[in-house]
Parts: sequence; structure tokens; C-alpha cells
Amino acid sequence: MNIIEVKNLEFEYPITDDEGNVVGGNKVLKDISLEIPKGQFLAILGHNGSGKSTLAKHFNGILLGNSGKVFVNGIDTADDDRIYDVRQTVGMVFQNPDNQLVATIVEEDVAFAPENLGLPPEQIRERVDEALNAVDMYKYRLHSAHQLSGGQKQRIAIAGVIAMRPECIVLDEPTAMLDPKGRKSIMKTIKHLNSQFGITIVLITHYMDEAAQAERVVVMDGGRIIMDDVPQKIFSKVDKLTEVGLDVPQVTQLAYELKKEGIDISLEVLTEEDCLNELLRVADRK
Amino acid sequence: MLKDITIGQYFPGDSVVHRIDSRFKIILDILYVVMLFVADNFISLAVAGIFILMAYAVSGIKAVMMLKSLKPIMPLILFTAILNLFFVNGTGDPLVEWWIITIHEEGITTAIFMIVRIVCLIIGMSLLTYTTSPIVLTDAIERLLSPLKKIKLPVHELAMMMTIALRFIPTLIEETDKIMAAQKARGAELDTGGLMKRAKALVPILIPLFVSAFKRANELAMAMECRCYKGGDGRTKLRQLKARPADYMVFMLVLTVLGFVIVDNVVF
Repeated sequence: MNIIEVKNLEFEYPITDDEGNVVGGNKVLKDISLEIPKGQFLAILGHNGSGKSTLAKHFNGILLGNSGKVFVNGIDTADDDRIYDVRQTVGMVFQNPDNQLVATIVEEDVAFAPENLGLPPEQIRERVDEALNAVDMYKYRLHSAHQLSGGQKQRIAIAGVIAMRPECIVLDEPTAMLDPKGRKSIMKTIKHLNSQFGITIVLITHYMDEAAQAERVVVMDGGRIIMDDVPQKIFSKVDKLTEVGLDVPQVTQLAYELKKEGIDISLEVLTEEDCLNELLRVADRK
Repeated sequence: MLKDITIGQYFPGDSVVHRIDSRFKIILDILYVVMLFVADNFISLAVAGIFILMAYAVSGIKAVMMLKSLKPIMPLILFTAILNLFFVNGTGDPLVEWWIITIHEEGITTAIFMIVRIVCLIIGMSLLTYTTSPIVLTDAIERLLSPLKKIKLPVHELAMMMTIALRFIPTLIEETDKIMAAQKARGAELDTGGLMKRAKALVPILIPLFVSAFKRANELAMAMECRCYKGGDGRTKLRQLKARPADYMVFMLVLTVLGFVIVDNVVF
């Protein structure tokens, strides 16, 4: 069962002249087709301007394509009558946590979405507590949001989305503005939500090490999907990734350089542990 | 320097004053203002003054905070007092007569009355914000104004704007500090020169601040849409405002004091 289905999606931003007349279009998405099964942890990788964020905004009807369709649980995102069903199913977290928090107090902010859904107060309370526990921020519920660190704020933003009980969360570069500690905590939270609650995760990123933790990686370049596979396979294609301006994890780079020197080593290494085992295996064989 | 702003400063607590239903608190504050302006003799003004001091004592807010709330309004208080002192004409002989200055006994009493009134007014209003969280306050305003929805006043939108404004005050203050530091690093002189020069120096701070505020507004609007925001219709609230018997008792107490002040001034 697919939670999100994208069919031949095309999208262009209009280009306007100084008077505001449309003089052309800047095509950002070109014939995108993609299926995301329920419960998957998918990473969409691409450098700036590859169209990855634009694609993400189509997943819950924030943007609608010029042609092609996007379905969420079988609902067309262009269907105005059911747009709130779509948005409740696919939650979205953005890059800058400061610009997503609506209320001053943490629990008030997390309550924002259930309040919008018109739930009775007891249920709102239940969902707020549940969401704050899921991101491990319950003890901060009465704090003022601006006093928290970047990573903590971003977890509150995630909790604000979880409070809708979505089946899928799309995160658009959620760690881009965070320090290494904050980045780690967000990745841990994302994986926890995926494994514990079975929430489908779509992580938009340009960090290789984050993409490497996903089940499946989609690589975008120039508005097209150019690769779609498990991370081991994606990152073993070092040449192709370098061509579109992306790096590979350092251990993969190491294996790649060794292979170039004529050593028979697998390129499907992503973690330091993989790499160590592979190196030991190669050393043993000699 | 910008960190000193105390708009909407709130001190959490669990006193009787803190626990009064915020809608009642707003109405009580309005009644208190009425009381201050009805009070026109020493006794009733003293009652009003003692009343607010007692409220502070019960709330557990430090006396320093009372003075802090008065600081920005000090010039206005002095100005009003001086005006009253010199320009109120009395029936008796002037107490002081020198050059163009004449001071009557009535001038002195009016000046003191005005000072006490303004001071009580400010610290009374401050007590409301000191003991009520801004979010609860906006909620209460939304509920109190909700009858006005019938005449098409966008009550929910106003309350939402207040909530967001309160949320973004610290963020924008931080941002202003950053921009000022950045412009100073590029050689901008913000603290020197005359008034015109200083005003002009603000332009390179305000422009980036506005650009960024618009960008933030855009992103926030998108994030709110993603969280199913569709205006005030059908929206519920996490926090329910419920009036308790204690609220009515406090209300009756204030009404009694107000009644006393009115009787004292109108009848006698």
C-alpha cells in the first residue's frame, strides 16, 4: 500500500518582469513519478536547486503541479474538499524552527494543530502529552519556546505535527540550521518515530550521512529523479554522485579510492563499522 | 540594550491573584480604572491605593517590579504634576508668588491627586500582565470580545495576531541585535552624531529587519497551513476558561470597594 503516489508531476515557477507580467516559466520539476509505501524511511537527496524542496511541498498540497497528479492515501491533493484530510495525513516540518512555532509556550504550540482540527479539550491534552513524549520533550512543556536550543525547538515543531497523528511526516532539511548535537537528536527522533510508531518518513536533505541512515534514497538533479535505490547501492556509484555535485560518506570515499588503487573491496560500505569489517575481510584474504 | 523590554512580562505563580479567571481580571482592571477616576477626595483615593498595594502583596510580585513598571512613564507623571501645580487656580491667596509663577493650595492637591492616580493606574495594569500569561490574556480578550463577531469584527483574527506578535517579539529582538552587530562590524556608526544622523543610521537596520520579518511571515503562514489552520471557525482550545466561585467573590469585593468610592464621592 502506497501512502504517497506521484504521477508524471511537472511544476514551474512563473517568471515575471518588473511590472508583474508573466513572461515565462522556470521549470523546477520535470516528469516526476514516485511511489512511497507506508512505513518507509525515504531520503530525498539533491544539491540546492535540484527541486527537492519543491517536490516535498507537493506531498501535502501546499503546491499543486501544472500537470500530473499527487495522491495521498488515494486522495488527489488537488481536491479542495479533502485538502485537510491530506494535510492531516502528511505532516510537514520545515528548515527553520523559529518560523514554524506559533505560540509562545511549548504545549500551547503543540496544541495548535489539534485545536485546528476542532477536537475536545481532553483529547487535545492527551495528544499534546503523547506528542511531547514521542519527541522526548515532555518536561519542557511549560517552557517558553524561544529559550530552547535549535534542536529542541525543531523537536517541538515535530511534536506539533505528530499531534495531528499523521501517517507520514515530510521533513524539509530539518537539520540545516542546527549544530551537530541538535542534528543527532533530530535524526534519533526521526528514526524512533519510524520504528516505534510506524510513521512513514520522507527526509529531504543534502547531508550524505543522514541519507545513508534511510531505507531508500532518491537522488534528484535538475528537477528529475536520477537514482532510486537502497543507500548502499546509491553511494557505491561514487562517479555519478560526484557528477551531480554530491559527496559520498567518507568511508565510501575511502573504499572508492582503495578500489581505484586496484584493491578488491566492496563499495557498499556506509558506516565506520561496515568499513572496518570490509577492510579486515580484504586484509584476511591476502 | 533591547533585552530590557518588559512588554507582556509574566511572572508565573500560584497566588489568588494569579488564579482569578483572566476574563474577570480584565473586567476588574477596567473597574479599577473607573474607581480611580471617580475617586476625587483623599479618603477614596487612599482606599484605591491601598487596594492595589494589597493586591500586590497577595500576588507575591516583588515591589521592585512595581517601580520598574513606572520607570518608562516617569516623565509623563512629572510633566502632569508640574502642569497641575502651576496652572490650577485656587480661590484663596496664592501660597507662592514669584515672577510668573503662582502656586495655589488647590494646585498642590490636584498635582498629588494626579500622581497617585497615574501611579495606581500603571501598577494596576502591570499587575494584570505580571500575573497572567500572555496567551491566556489573548484567549480572554478573544472570549470577551466574541459577542462583537456579530457585527463582523474579526475577533479570532485579532487574537491570533496578538498571539503571533507576542511569540515573535523575542525572535525579532534577537534578530535586531544581530543585524546591529553586523552593521557595526561593517563600520556603521549607530551611537554617535546628532538626531538626524542617528535616525538615518537606523535605515540599514530596519530594511534587513523588515525583509526578514516578511520572509518569516511567509514561512509561518505555510507552516500554519500544514497544521490544518483554517481560521477561527470550528476551532477548539486546549485551555478552557472556567469561572470558579472564588472569582465571583473577588468580583464582589472589587464591586464593594467601587461602590464605597462612588458613594463617598457622589453622596458626600
